[in-house]
Amino acid sequence: MPTVTFLPSFRKTEVPKGSTILEAAQKAGFHMNVVCGGQGKCGKCSVMVRSGEIDFDREKYGDFYTDEEASQGFCLSCQTRINGDLRVLIPEGSLVQEQQILVDSPGVPLEINPAVWKYALTLSPPTLDDQSPDLTRLLWGIEKSGGPKEGSIYAPLEVIREIPKVLRESGWRITATVALVPGGYRMINVEKGDTTSHSYGAAVDLGTTTVVVYIRSLIDGSIVGTGSNYNRQISCGEDILSRVNYAKRGGLEKLQALAVESINAALTAASNSAGIDRDDVYEVVVAGNTIMTHILMGIDPAYMIEEPYVPVVRRYLTTAARRVGLVVGKNSGLFIFPAVSDFIGGDIIADILASGMAESNDISLLIDIGTNFEVVLGNRDWMFACAGAAGPALEGGEVLFGMRANPGAIEQVSLDLRTLKPSFRTIRNQRPRGLCGSGLIDLLAELLRSCIIDRTGRINTAIAHERIRQGRQVPEFVVAWKEETAIGKDIVITENDIKALIMSKASILAACQTLMNQAGIGREEIARIYFSGAFGNYINKDHAITIGLIPEIPVERVTTIGNGAIAGANIALLNRRKKRVIDEIARKIAYIELNADPTFMDEYTGSCFLPHTDLSLFPGVEKMLDQCRILREQS
Amino acid sequence: MALKPLEIYKLLPKKNCKECGDPTCLTFAMKLAGGKAKPEACPYLDENAKTILGASTRPPVRKIRIGVGERAVTIGEELVQFRHEKSFFHEPGIFMAVTDLMTPGAIQERVIFVRDEILTRVGTDLRLNGIAVRSVNGSPTAFTKAVEAVEAVADLPEVLMAGDPAVMEAGLSVCGNYRPLLHAATSSQYWEMCRLAKKYACPLAIRADSLDALAELSGLCSAEGIENLVLDLSSLSLSEQLNRSTAVRQHAVSRKTPALGHPVCIDTAVSGLPDAALIAGVTKFGSVLICDDLSSASRKALLVLRQNIYTDPQKPIQITPGLYRVGSPGKDAPVLLTVNFSLTFFTLQGYLEASRVPCFMLIVDTEGLSVLTAVASGKLQETLVRDAIAKYNLSAEVAHKRLIIPGYAAPLSGRIEDATGWKVLVGPRDAADISEFLEKEWKG
Amino acid sequence: MGVSTLSEWTGRIGELVIGATAKDGGTRSHSVTIGGEEDLPYIGIPPSGHRPLVAYELSDDPELWPAAATRFIGDRVHDTAEWVAHADREYQPDLIRLYLSSTRERNFSDISRIGETVESVLQATELPLIIEGSNDPAIDSAVFQKIGEAAEGERILLGTAEAGHYRSVAAAAMAYGHSVIAQSPIDINLAKQLNILLRETGLSPDRIAIDPYTGALGYGFEYSYSVMERIRYSALKGDSDLAMPMISSAIDSLVVKEVREADEGDACPTAVAWEIYAMLPATIAGASIVCVRHPLSIEPLKTAIAALWNGEPKGGM
Repeated sequence: MPTVTFLPSFRKTEVPKGSTILEAAQKAGFHMNVVCGGQGKCGKCSVMVRSGEIDFDREKYGDFYTDEEASQGFCLSCQTRINGDLRVLIPEGSLVQEQQILVDSPGVPLEINPAVWKYALTLSPPTLDDQSPDLTRLLWGIEKSGGPKEGSIYAPLEVIREIPKVLRESGWRITATVALVPGGYRMINVEKGDTTSHSYGAAVDLGTTTVVVYIRSLIDGSIVGTGSNYNRQISCGEDILSRVNYAKRGGLEKLQALAVESINAALTAASNSAGIDRDDVYEVVVAGNTIMTHILMGIDPAYMIEEPYVPVVRRYLTTAARRVGLVVGKNSGLFIFPAVSDFIGGDIIADILASGMAESNDISLLIDIGTNFEVVLGNRDWMFACAGAAGPALEGGEVLFGMRANPGAIEQVSLDLRTLKPSFRTIRNQRPRGLCGSGLIDLLAELLRSCIIDRTGRINTAIAHERIRQGRQVPEFVVAWKEETAIGKDIVITENDIKALIMSKASILAACQTLMNQAGIGREEIARIYFSGAFGNYINKDHAITIGLIPEIPVERVTTIGNGAIAGANIALLNRRKKRVIDEIARKIAYIELNADPTFMDEYTGSCFLPHTDLSLFPGVEKMLDQCRILREQS
Repeated sequence: MALKPLEIYKLLPKKNCKECGDPTCLTFAMKLAGGKAKPEACPYLDENAKTILGASTRPPVRKIRIGVGERAVTIGEELVQFRHEKSFFHEPGIFMAVTDLMTPGAIQERVIFVRDEILTRVGTDLRLNGIAVRSVNGSPTAFTKAVEAVEAVADLPEVLMAGDPAVMEAGLSVCGNYRPLLHAATSSQYWEMCRLAKKYACPLAIRADSLDALAELSGLCSAEGIENLVLDLSSLSLSEQLNRSTAVRQHAVSRKTPALGHPVCIDTAVSGLPDAALIAGVTKFGSVLICDDLSSASRKALLVLRQNIYTDPQKPIQITPGLYRVGSPGKDAPVLLTVNFSLTFFTLQGYLEASRVPCFMLIVDTEGLSVLTAVASGKLQETLVRDAIAKYNLSAEVAHKRLIIPGYAAPLSGRIEDATGWKVLVGPRDAADISEFLEKEWKG
Repeated sequence: MGVSTLSEWTGRIGELVIGATAKDGGTRSHSVTIGGEEDLPYIGIPPSGHRPLVAYELSDDPELWPAAATRFIGDRVHDTAEWVAHADREYQPDLIRLYLSSTRERNFSDISRIGETVESVLQATELPLIIEGSNDPAIDSAVFQKIGEAAEGERILLGTAEAGHYRSVAAAAMAYGHSVIAQSPIDINLAKQLNILLRETGLSPDRIAIDPYTGALGYGFEYSYSVMERIRYSALKGDSDLAMPMISSAIDSLVVKEVREADEGDACPTAVAWEIYAMLPATIAGASIVCVRHPLSIEPLKTAIAALWNGEPKGGM
């Protein structure tokens, strides 16, 4: 087998001849950037082959490289087959970068009511006079110490096998662990001595890009450890559709394994940070989008992305954690949040649970923004939900200098209305490399306030200012001069970028409006807007209203709940009664297919305007913009 | 005044019992609001809810059928004043008039024309609907003969136009079993006309000088047991025709004057400007339009206008996906990709024909969405294009691999190239510029 | 009981004046006013506001004009001023709409010729004018400046502002006292957006005519029809950003398949019918100016509009 040596780390791996460099890199443990899922479309996985024999169709992929780059050995790692020993340099840009991840505690008041109990028992050994069997003795012990009745606990064979030895070796001083599962009480562990203080559960957010794990004490609910990790499936494609395509091409097993591997790695990190034994984790609660949870369970997600988009299961699922490959206590249970449709998955149910909107009389609007967005409107009685594609612009994609929330990303911008000079803040205060989502929203609002763009996002090139100029194709605004940046280029926002942003924000606002129309609810009746997801956490709420990303309501009633998926998973882990609420939420939601809603396109064109074509929906913004206009005219 | 799903939901028992077949009361409410379910499906509605939901789902304009058999015309059942609010449902019936002064030969020539003439557009056959027989002579015998002449060659829906009940009865003796519309009852003879309408179970048109009088007459006829009424709003003045028909529709849909909740009939010869009266009738609430002879040009334009106005605005007309030819394209002819929204298709086709460049149109199935909408919603995808190229065996039709895509689909160009292996040329956004584009980009 | 139309409207369509007489510093024989309605089109006896008008469209580049239209004019089409004078005299439209189609030629640069054409047309007719300029950002500014300047004082209606380029048209209109056609592609939201954009350039709302773009009969006319109805409805409901009069022109009427392929004898009536069966409904949907290219469409359209407006002429049966 050929050996591939990766530079600059000199990490080596062996792969069969004919494998791709991408496969070799992944085998060697590199997190390659593969946006298109290895289809040779995105060019993000480029590597430089320094020596060795390869098979790469330069003609077919000629557009990706200049002649100079080609002569340096640049090629697409996913489309390059290995013919012999290689030396390959992986440029930094081809590796998945470290990103800011939310590991916040949501701060929702918690009620501790877990589904797992530990009973420390001192049993009397059997005698000739007392010949009751080990198990009965154990069950009676549990009943006597306040646990469930003897006859109501089921003990699986694998636990029974342990019992005689543990009882005798411990001198009849043991701890039994009982869990409440859908079938009733179940004994899941018997161990020596008193281990009642070691009772933990794990809450997991299985996201498309990130996996977050919280380990919590099931006794007092405290957070004992956290861990996070990239979803290793990212090497099989960055977005959800490329994952499904990957699964379709026979990759389901690999995706399932990578999901488990990612959770296990985060679990390791969390248990290490907590200094606990992973065998003491007795329940795992996972919230994730529909595709992720289906893949985790090893269910083919292919049919879900076709009409009529039904998930395989719409109720929560429980099984043994080890059955899917999670390394926790031997008989620990796994609880997976239910999915409503292809787009409204367990992560959204968890958002809803975490926001508390499903238990309130007030009407709330919940918005989860990523490349896809989900919107939920309702209260304890009723709930409408919809989902759509916002496009990648709000996450910095499809924007010339857009980037993810990595170090060096401009995350906050303001413009001086008189001089039009921007001031900005970057992540980790590094020299700017580009603009991330929150920075882009700030910029859009500020460009509008300063009348540099009109309400359709066109740059007014009639303004004579050094920062406003004709770019290669369209006008652009210079946010940072190249001397200030880390990339040696002016960082600009182009008219096309602005239009992409407006189209993205319009889909979200139009979705909100469509749900409100369906329900016959005006913006005045919305008591709260919840932003969930990483994006919402850093967003400037005033600016989100200014550009018409969300309906105008008093800004203090807009709340960010951060990572709602992990928050919801935590709540369900610590309070078993919430599991019923979860199923109710899943049943209650009426899903609205936006494509089939005749008013959606109308709302969408109405929303492709800053903030909205119906200015009366944004009275506060209009007042503010009027003042800005006067100020601009003065200067 | 359609109720919103949530307003309906509040009237429902909120039991989520699933007995209606829906998983929750809210999804059932959504179906009710969209007219996709009937309130009776819920076994637990209280009386109040039944009244409200029943009233909001019953059409404010009565449904009426004229004629029998496959050419029978259904009119009424309308819900809205503006087609954009939902849709207009039943196209007006257009009845060509003959008189009892005409020879049977002349009558039959016209009847046969109405019977046989078809204009086919967008895959739909457009035709005139029926015959109106005018009593001009005044004698029952002459009217009988005229109706017999009509009946001899066609079983088209008819409007019998005779103010004298005796003449009307003479006509009914010939075609009374074929549910003609009786035109028209007035305050001076309505009970006679009602008797005939009841005897032959026919719909009855009523006429009065003012809308107040018409509403009153409508009530009187109802009292006689005749509910299938048509309101004749023919006026000497087009201004009056339009004002009256608008008032009638407003009073009907607002349910302010239920006596006016009936379809409208207009004799377009009355105003002396038949084309204008027909246009006003088609656009503004006419359900029975009577006209004398129509020029071929007017007939075509009228049928197309009626088709346009009665198209469901929320459901675009679709073209069958496939490979279409413009002229006789050869192996090196350009291939233009577009969506199966009929307007897009016909507009592009028109400009391509005008450009005189033989070419292929590759029409993909976007379920009738326009290019912009199909791109925005993700319906137009590279896989759709790839599959269409394979399905319609494009490689066998042309000797090149270049595909022209609409300007609005430019964001997909790269992905289409990757998925298909075809070189993509981004065409203009406006079909009007296609000729210039082919001239410059394709030939050049 | 008193059954009549229900008019619970709160809005009113603004008035727009086209053409200036000597008294107002122009050379037109009269000016026309459109708009002013407080109810649905033609509703009320007499209706509110001003009667819809018929504009006759012609071009300074007959090569780009439909043959069905130019056939009637003969050689005069090669002299724009003569074409205008002839149409004014023979067909008596309410307005003339001149398309400076020559600006669509590739690399067009003869800006001074634009000025000459406009001046000669102003000489050739005393009717109020609508003039359409270029559609190319590279020359728009110069073209609109030139038209505006050449017609200064005449209070013309200047076309066409679109969301992609509205500043140069608006600037020329404001500089020389003209009004602007605001065209958007068959969508009420886009129509409103453009009006807001124009308002924010400083153009007064009484200087805007909405052109919602009109598809030919059978080729999307129903979309335009409904958009016009929606615009009028919203305006009457009080949306001041849509309360401008509308102009409608089904510019493709004479090149649709039905007209192109009509039998020899039927060609002319079909062309006229295709224009009338779109433009009369357009007035019923709310258009204040409707445009035709076939000269024989003008008279019947004017007659029909008058009959819908005030009931004259009355029928005689």
